[in-house]
Amino acid sequence: MNTNSKNWLWWLLTALVLICMVVALWAATKRIDYTWRWNRIPQYFAYQNVEIQKVPFTGTVAQIDKKGESTTITIEGENSETATFVVDTETVNLEVDFYLMTGDTVGSTSEWKAGPLAVGLWVTIYISAIASVIALIIGVVTGLCRVSRNLTLRQLSITYIEIIRGTPLLVQLFIFYFFLGTVLDIGRIASGVGALSLFAGAYVAEIIRAGIQSIPKGQMEAARSLGMNSAQAMVYIILPQAFKRTLPPLAGQFISLIKDSSLVSVIAITDLTKSGREVIASTFSVFEVWFVVAFLYLILTFTLSQVVAWFERRLAVSD
Amino acid sequence: MIKTVDLEKIFVGRGQEVRAVDGITSHIKPGEVVVVIGPSGSGKSTYLRCLNGLEMLTGGHVHIDGVDLANRKTDMNKVRAEVGMVFQQFNLFPHKTVLENLVLAQMKVRKRGRKEAEEKGRALLEKVGIPEKEANYPSQLSGGQQQRVAIARALAMDPKVMLFDEPTSALDPEMVGEVLEVMKQLAREGMTMVVVTHEMGFAREVADRVLFMDYGKLVEEGTPEHFFTEPKEERAKLFLRQVL
Repeated sequence: MNTNSKNWLWWLLTALVLICMVVALWAATKRIDYTWRWNRIPQYFAYQNVEIQKVPFTGTVAQIDKKGESTTITIEGENSETATFVVDTETVNLEVDFYLMTGDTVGSTSEWKAGPLAVGLWVTIYISAIASVIALIIGVVTGLCRVSRNLTLRQLSITYIEIIRGTPLLVQLFIFYFFLGTVLDIGRIASGVGALSLFAGAYVAEIIRAGIQSIPKGQMEAARSLGMNSAQAMVYIILPQAFKRTLPPLAGQFISLIKDSSLVSVIAITDLTKSGREVIASTFSVFEVWFVVAFLYLILTFTLSQVVAWFERRLAVSD
Repeated sequence: MIKTVDLEKIFVGRGQEVRAVDGITSHIKPGEVVVVIGPSGSGKSTYLRCLNGLEMLTGGHVHIDGVDLANRKTDMNKVRAEVGMVFQQFNLFPHKTVLENLVLAQMKVRKRGRKEAEEKGRALLEKVGIPEKEANYPSQLSGGQQQRVAIARALAMDPKVMLFDEPTSALDPEMVGEVLEVMKQLAREGMTMVVVTHEMGFAREVADRVLFMDYGKLVEEGTPEHFFTEPKEERAKLFLRQVL
């Protein structure tokens, strides 16, 4: 009866079940003596790259000019050639008139660099974003063709949708990369993005078609009775309403797209998944890396679904 | 203003032929208020929808201001901009505010500037009695208010003719009056109107002429006094006995 007051008990139960599952997993890994090395993971997001600067000739230090963090060092060679270096102050171990031989260290510079996981994450975001935009364009155009009065447009769009939906994405990626990539001479990123957007576009097209068909006929009639042509009625009246209704399934489709983008690693695009495999190859921290990779995908998809939910709330003002 | 000659509309579905409009010849003069009545399924709505080309004609002609809708070269969009239509289900654009509903077609079809279109829209909302609702969405309005907005939306295009397709049939009884009042005012101002309705009171009071349709045919035609007091045709008599 008064379910609301007992809600916290159910919350507790949910938490308990989840904790039990985590404990069970932990116990299972204990049994196989797996050594967790989480401390190895951060360096694959970002690391400090140290570059050592060496003297190209034999000579003496002519000048040391300290300016806070960085120091400029001028070296004069025996044949009166000069060279200047800018290095981090704390790595300088020289004084004026020091004699240096070819290959001696002047100092070093260090800077933060993005590790493979960060780069892979960026590639995944970038590929998914471009593919999503193209998929949306393909989907809207195909969806419109699907409800067009022109029979050829209808048949062409159905053919496209059926072919794409009826074949595995992995196979499409290979066809794109090996066949189209060779014939049209396009790179692997273009092949990957192309295959992903064509794949998602077919599903988006069906979503858009369903959305258009769900709008009452009276809307089109009202728009036409005001003298709008069919394109104006579509753009100003039907599509905005259809878009609003199809937002939830579209969000699902684009979340799928982000996840499906992990397949592009088979055509050697260094996305998040492939970066994960590379990190595993050098650390053997199989469990940690896959958990981290899964978590990163989860962050991406969760962010997207939150953005869409926010968008939905904004569009709901006219309800 | 509107002339129909042997107007014909045949629907074909599942091998069956339905002659929704079956050879109607009529002439609606400027400033005239014509009320079309008849039993449900008699084709009166279809007849009305043929007048602005929402239904493709199967045969015959519709001339609006001398433009033949049956001619393939006629630009239907231009014709429709001159013919306002009000629907039974209002068909307001739910994703746009009331004012936007009135402004959109003015800007896109009549190519008016936003300022001019908004002024016109506000004036029309004033006229139909709901100026305070311009920023609301249609879903926040009552049925009667929505239908008045729909009338204002059609009027915003400065149409030469207004078509009403059972404008009060989807309304709660207490809201019928406010919509009819707006229509009466329009009639007094000399708007040419064709009204499909079941409101016999409105027909009697406002109509210059009544068309009675049955099975797609124009059965009887005449002034309200003539039609409501001494109809000639048996079917019209039967209909009146049932509704009055």
